[in-house]
Amino acid sequence: MLLIHCPYCDETLPEPEFAYAGEAHIDRPADPQQLSDEEWRDFLFIRTNAKGPHYERWRHINGCARFFNAVRDTVSDKFLTTYKAGEARPDLAKLLEGQK
Amino acid sequence: MADAIEKVSPLHALAEPGRFGDTSGEPGVGLSERLCDSLVQVQAWPDSISALKKAVKSVTGASIKPGNAVATKGDVVLMSTGPGRWLVEDETDDLEVRLRKAIGADIGAVTALTHARTVVSISGERCEWVLASGIALDFSADAFPVGTAKLSHHHEIGLTIHRTGDQAFDLYVVTSMVRSFWGWIARASAEVGYTVS
Ligand SMILES: [Zn+2]
Repeated sequence: MLLIHCPYCDETLPEPEFAYAGEAHIDRPADPQQLSDEEWRDFLFIRTNAKGPHYERWRHINGCARFFNAVRDTVSDKFLTTYKAGEARPDLAKLLEGQK
Repeated sequence: MADAIEKVSPLHALAEPGRFGDTSGEPGVGLSERLCDSLVQVQAWPDSISALKKAVKSVTGASIKPGNAVATKGDVVLMSTGPGRWLVEDETDDLEVRLRKAIGADIGAVTALTHARTVVSISGERCEWVLASGIALDFSADAFPVGTAKLSHHHEIGLTIHRTGDQAFDLYVVTSMVRSFWGWIARASAEVGYTVS
Protein backbone atom coordinates (compact mmCIF):
# COMPACT_ATOMS: atom_id res chain seq x y z
CA MET A 1 0.00 0.00 0.00
CA LEU A 2 1.18 3.54 -0.81
CA LEU A 3 2.18 5.32 2.39
CA ILE A 4 2.10 9.10 2.79
CA HIS A 5 3.72 11.15 5.55
CA CYS A 6 1.38 13.76 7.07
CA PRO A 7 3.57 16.69 8.20
CA TYR A 8 0.97 17.69 10.81
CA CYS A 9 0.40 14.26 12.38
CA ASP A 10 4.07 13.44 11.77
CA GLU A 11 3.05 9.91 10.91
CA THR A 12 3.30 7.82 7.76
CA LEU A 13 -0.16 6.54 6.96
CA PRO A 14 -2.04 4.65 4.23
CA GLU A 15 -3.01 6.51 1.09
CA PRO A 16 -6.79 5.92 1.51
CA GLU A 17 -6.68 8.33 4.48
CA PHE A 18 -5.67 11.09 2.05
CA ALA A 19 -7.24 12.97 -0.83
CA TYR A 20 -5.41 14.58 -3.75
CA ALA A 21 -6.15 18.29 -4.08
CA GLY A 22 -4.50 19.50 -7.28
CA GLU A 23 -1.30 21.34 -8.10
CA ALA A 24 0.35 23.30 -5.27
CA HIS A 25 1.72 26.84 -5.08
CA ILE A 26 -0.96 28.41 -7.25
CA ASP A 27 -1.88 31.78 -5.75
CA ARG A 28 -5.33 33.13 -6.24
CA PRO A 29 -4.97 36.49 -8.03
CA ALA A 30 -5.26 39.37 -5.57
CA ASP A 31 -7.57 41.32 -7.85
CA PRO A 32 -9.43 39.02 -10.24
CA GLN A 33 -11.29 42.01 -11.73
CA GLN A 34 -8.05 43.18 -13.33
CA LEU A 35 -7.41 39.90 -15.13
CA SER A 36 -8.06 39.27 -18.80
CA ASP A 37 -10.18 36.26 -19.70
CA GLU A 38 -7.01 34.46 -20.76
CA GLU A 39 -5.26 35.16 -17.45
CA TRP A 40 -8.33 33.98 -15.51
CA ARG A 41 -8.50 30.84 -17.65
CA ASP A 42 -4.83 30.18 -16.93
CA PHE A 43 -5.39 30.55 -13.18
CA LEU A 44 -8.39 28.23 -13.18
CA PHE A 45 -7.42 25.53 -15.62
CA ILE A 46 -3.88 25.60 -16.95
CA ARG A 47 -1.55 23.31 -15.01
CA THR A 48 2.01 22.10 -15.52
CA ASN A 49 0.94 18.45 -15.99
CA ALA A 50 4.46 17.39 -15.06
CA LYS A 51 5.95 14.08 -16.08
CA GLY A 52 8.21 13.46 -13.09
CA PRO A 53 8.41 15.44 -9.83
CA HIS A 54 5.24 17.44 -9.26
CA TYR A 55 4.40 19.96 -6.52
CA GLU A 56 0.90 19.13 -5.38
CA ARG A 57 -1.59 19.52 -2.55
CA TRP A 58 -2.91 16.67 -0.49
CA ARG A 59 -5.42 16.59 2.34
CA HIS A 60 -5.34 14.22 5.32
CA ILE A 61 -9.11 13.97 5.06
CA ASN A 62 -9.57 10.88 7.24
CA GLY A 63 -7.12 12.11 9.85
CA CYS A 64 -6.28 15.63 10.99
CA ALA A 65 -8.13 17.03 7.94
CA ARG A 66 -5.28 19.46 7.13
CA PHE A 67 -4.11 20.41 3.64
CA PHE A 68 -0.38 20.04 3.03
CA ASN A 69 1.98 19.96 0.07
CA ALA A 70 3.97 17.15 -1.47
CA VAL A 71 6.50 16.51 -4.20
CA ARG A 72 5.49 13.31 -5.95
CA ASP A 73 6.98 11.73 -9.03
CA THR A 74 4.05 11.25 -11.42
CA VAL A 75 5.88 8.46 -13.24
CA SER A 76 6.87 6.28 -10.28
CA ASP A 77 4.16 7.53 -7.83
CA LYS A 78 6.97 7.96 -5.30
CA PHE A 79 6.68 10.77 -2.77
CA LEU A 80 9.94 12.73 -2.57
CA THR A 81 8.73 14.76 0.41
CA THR A 82 5.72 16.32 2.10
CA TYR A 83 5.66 19.68 3.89
CA LYS A 84 3.23 21.98 5.64
CA ALA A 85 1.00 24.36 3.70
CA GLY A 86 2.52 27.84 3.55
CA GLU A 87 6.11 26.57 3.51
CA ALA A 88 8.30 27.42 0.52
CA ARG A 89 8.82 24.98 -2.34
CA PRO A 90 11.64 22.61 -1.40
CA ASP A 91 14.70 22.58 -3.63
CA LEU A 92 14.13 19.85 -6.19
CA ALA A 93 17.84 19.28 -6.91
CA LYS A 94 18.48 18.57 -3.21
CA LEU A 95 15.47 16.23 -3.02
CA LEU A 96 16.62 14.26 -6.03
CA GLU A 97 20.14 14.11 -4.60
CA GLY A 98 18.65 12.66 -1.40
CA GLN A 99 16.90 9.93 -3.42
CA LYS A 100 20.17 8.55 -4.78
CA MET B 1 -39.82 21.19 32.18
CA ALA B 2 -39.36 17.92 30.35
CA ASP B 3 -36.79 15.46 31.59
CA ALA B 4 -33.54 15.08 29.72
CA ILE B 5 -34.00 13.36 26.38
CA GLU B 6 -33.69 9.62 26.76
CA LYS B 7 -30.75 8.19 24.84
CA VAL B 8 -31.70 5.61 22.26
CA SER B 9 -29.13 3.17 20.93
CA PRO B 10 -28.39 3.70 17.25
CA LEU B 11 -27.59 -0.02 17.17
CA HIS B 12 -31.05 -0.94 18.46
CA ALA B 13 -32.02 -4.50 17.46
CA LEU B 14 -28.64 -4.93 15.74
CA ALA B 15 -26.23 -5.33 18.66
CA GLU B 16 -28.13 -7.85 20.74
CA PRO B 17 -26.22 -9.57 23.54
CA GLY B 18 -25.08 -13.10 22.86
CA ARG B 19 -22.47 -15.36 21.35
CA PHE B 20 -22.01 -15.29 17.57
CA GLY B 21 -19.88 -16.49 14.67
CA ASP B 22 -17.51 -19.37 15.23
CA THR B 23 -18.64 -21.04 18.45
CA SER B 24 -16.17 -23.92 18.36
CA GLY B 25 -13.74 -22.42 20.89
CA GLU B 26 -13.34 -19.44 23.18
CA PRO B 27 -14.63 -16.23 21.55
CA GLY B 28 -11.81 -14.27 19.89
CA VAL B 29 -13.28 -10.87 20.68
CA GLY B 30 -16.04 -9.13 22.60
CA LEU B 31 -17.98 -6.20 21.15
CA SER B 32 -20.03 -3.63 22.99
CA GLU B 33 -21.61 -0.26 22.42
CA ARG B 34 -21.21 2.81 24.61
CA LEU B 35 -23.08 6.11 24.38
CA CYS B 36 -21.06 9.03 25.72
CA ASP B 37 -22.55 11.19 28.45
CA SER B 38 -20.61 14.16 27.05
CA LEU B 39 -18.30 14.31 24.05
CA VAL B 40 -17.11 17.74 22.91
CA GLN B 41 -14.59 18.86 20.29
CA VAL B 42 -12.44 21.87 21.06
CA GLN B 43 -10.40 23.59 18.34
CA ALA B 44 -7.88 26.35 19.02
CA TRP B 45 -6.79 29.10 16.64
CA PRO B 46 -3.14 28.74 15.52
CA ASP B 47 -2.01 31.29 18.16
CA SER B 48 -4.29 30.23 21.02
CA ILE B 49 -3.31 26.59 21.53
CA SER B 50 -1.74 27.14 24.96
CA ALA B 51 -4.73 29.23 26.10
CA LEU B 52 -7.07 26.45 25.01
CA LYS B 53 -4.99 23.82 26.81
CA LYS B 54 -5.23 25.92 29.98
CA ALA B 55 -8.98 26.24 29.59
CA VAL B 56 -9.43 22.49 29.12
CA LYS B 57 -7.33 21.88 32.23
CA SER B 58 -9.37 24.35 34.28
CA VAL B 59 -12.65 22.71 33.22
CA THR B 60 -11.70 19.03 33.37
CA GLY B 61 -8.76 18.92 35.77
CA ALA B 62 -6.83 16.87 33.21
CA SER B 63 -3.80 18.07 31.24
CA ILE B 64 -3.59 17.57 27.48
CA LYS B 65 -0.67 15.31 26.60
CA PRO B 66 1.66 15.82 23.63
CA GLY B 67 1.17 14.04 20.32
CA ASN B 68 -1.40 11.29 20.16
CA ALA B 69 -1.05 10.29 23.83
CA VAL B 70 -4.46 10.20 25.49
CA ALA B 71 -4.89 11.92 28.85
CA THR B 72 -7.26 10.18 31.23
CA LYS B 73 -8.18 11.31 34.72
CA GLY B 74 -11.20 9.89 36.50
CA ASP B 75 -13.99 9.93 33.92
CA VAL B 76 -12.20 12.47 31.69
CA VAL B 77 -10.63 11.44 28.36
CA LEU B 78 -8.66 13.91 26.18
CA MET B 79 -7.69 12.79 22.66
CA SER B 80 -5.84 14.72 19.97
CA THR B 81 -7.63 14.75 16.60
CA GLY B 82 -5.44 17.23 14.70
CA PRO B 83 -3.33 20.36 15.18
CA GLY B 84 -4.85 22.35 18.07
CA ARG B 85 -7.89 20.09 18.19
CA TRP B 86 -9.01 17.62 20.84
CA LEU B 87 -11.97 15.48 21.78
CA VAL B 88 -13.00 15.86 25.40
CA GLU B 89 -15.18 13.22 27.03
CA ASP B 90 -16.55 12.88 30.54
CA GLU B 91 -19.54 11.43 32.37
CA THR B 92 -21.31 14.68 33.20
CA ASP B 93 -24.19 16.20 31.26
CA ASP B 94 -22.89 19.77 31.17
CA LEU B 95 -19.36 19.45 29.78
CA GLU B 96 -20.26 21.49 26.68
CA VAL B 97 -21.66 24.34 28.80
CA ARG B 98 -18.56 24.43 31.01
CA LEU B 99 -16.18 24.35 28.05
CA ARG B 100 -18.13 27.11 26.28
CA LYS B 101 -17.80 29.31 29.36
CA ALA B 102 -14.03 28.79 29.47
CA ILE B 103 -13.34 28.91 25.72
CA GLY B 104 -14.51 32.14 24.13
CA ALA B 105 -14.36 32.88 20.42
CA ASP B 106 -10.94 34.46 20.97
CA ILE B 107 -9.55 31.09 22.12
CA GLY B 108 -11.31 28.67 19.80
CA ALA B 109 -14.42 26.76 18.84
CA VAL B 110 -16.46 24.30 20.92
CA THR B 111 -18.60 21.71 19.15
CA ALA B 112 -20.85 19.23 20.97
CA LEU B 113 -20.54 15.74 19.49
CA THR B 114 -22.26 13.71 22.23
CA HIS B 115 -25.04 12.52 19.94
CA ALA B 116 -22.84 12.50 16.84
CA ARG B 117 -20.53 9.68 17.92
CA THR B 118 -21.17 6.17 19.15
CA VAL B 119 -18.36 4.22 20.79
CA VAL B 120 -17.89 0.63 19.65
CA SER B 121 -15.56 -1.19 22.03
CA ILE B 122 -13.68 -4.28 20.99
CA SER B 123 -11.60 -6.40 23.31
CA GLY B 124 -10.10 -9.83 23.47
CA GLU B 125 -7.20 -11.86 22.21
CA ARG B 126 -7.95 -11.39 18.50
CA CYS B 127 -8.94 -7.72 18.51
CA GLU B 128 -5.79 -6.51 16.71
CA TRP B 129 -6.36 -9.11 14.00
CA VAL B 130 -10.04 -8.21 13.54
CA LEU B 131 -9.32 -4.47 13.27
CA ALA B 132 -6.37 -4.99 10.92
CA SER B 133 -8.61 -6.96 8.57
CA GLY B 134 -10.43 -3.78 7.55
CA ILE B 135 -8.57 -0.72 8.82
CA ALA B 136 -5.22 0.14 7.23
CA LEU B 137 -3.26 0.89 10.41
CA ASP B 138 -0.57 -1.06 12.20
CA PHE B 139 -2.39 -2.26 15.34
CA SER B 140 0.61 -3.94 16.94
CA ALA B 141 1.38 -2.59 20.41
CA ASP B 142 4.74 -1.20 19.23
CA ALA B 143 3.17 0.96 16.54
CA PHE B 144 -0.06 1.68 18.42
CA PRO B 145 0.73 1.72 22.16
CA VAL B 146 -1.83 1.55 24.95
CA GLY B 147 -3.01 5.04 25.87
CA THR B 148 -2.72 6.55 22.41
CA ALA B 149 -5.39 7.48 19.87
CA LYS B 150 -5.31 7.55 16.08
CA LEU B 151 -7.66 8.74 13.39
CA SER B 152 -8.45 6.57 10.44
CA HIS B 153 -11.40 5.25 8.55
CA HIS B 154 -13.14 2.12 7.41
CA HIS B 155 -14.15 2.75 3.81
CA GLU B 156 -15.70 6.23 4.02
CA ILE B 157 -16.56 6.02 7.72
CA GLY B 158 -14.27 8.18 9.83
CA LEU B 159 -12.96 6.68 13.07
CA THR B 160 -11.16 7.90 16.16
CA ILE B 161 -9.49 4.87 17.72
CA HIS B 162 -8.31 4.85 21.34
CA ARG B 163 -6.25 1.90 22.53
CA THR B 164 -7.54 1.53 26.08
CA GLY B 165 -5.66 -1.65 26.90
CA ASP B 166 -3.35 -4.37 25.66
CA GLN B 167 -6.31 -6.07 24.08
CA ALA B 168 -8.94 -3.33 24.04
CA PHE B 169 -9.86 -0.47 21.72
CA ASP B 170 -12.62 2.15 21.79
CA LEU B 171 -13.71 3.22 18.31
CA TYR B 172 -15.58 6.54 18.10
CA VAL B 173 -17.82 6.15 15.06
CA VAL B 174 -20.08 8.74 13.42
CA THR B 175 -23.49 7.81 14.82
CA SER B 176 -25.34 8.03 11.51
CA MET B 177 -22.88 5.47 10.06
CA VAL B 178 -22.55 3.17 13.06
CA ARG B 179 -25.12 0.59 11.92
CA SER B 180 -23.13 0.09 8.74
CA PHE B 181 -19.86 -0.04 10.68
CA TRP B 182 -21.31 -2.56 13.12
CA GLY B 183 -22.29 -4.74 10.15
CA TRP B 184 -18.64 -4.87 9.13
CA ILE B 185 -17.09 -5.38 12.55
CA ALA B 186 -19.57 -8.14 13.44
CA ARG B 187 -18.82 -9.99 10.18
CA ALA B 188 -15.09 -9.48 10.61
CA SER B 189 -15.36 -10.87 14.15
CA ALA B 190 -17.45 -13.88 13.13
CA GLU B 191 -14.41 -15.79 11.92
CA VAL B 192 -12.85 -15.76 15.39
CA GLY B 193 -16.15 -15.95 17.28
CA TYR B 194 -17.48 -13.01 19.28
CA THR B 195 -19.69 -12.01 22.11
CA VAL B 196 -21.86 -8.91 22.31
CA SER B 197 -22.46 -7.44 25.75
ZN1 LIG C 1 -2.58 14.53 9.48
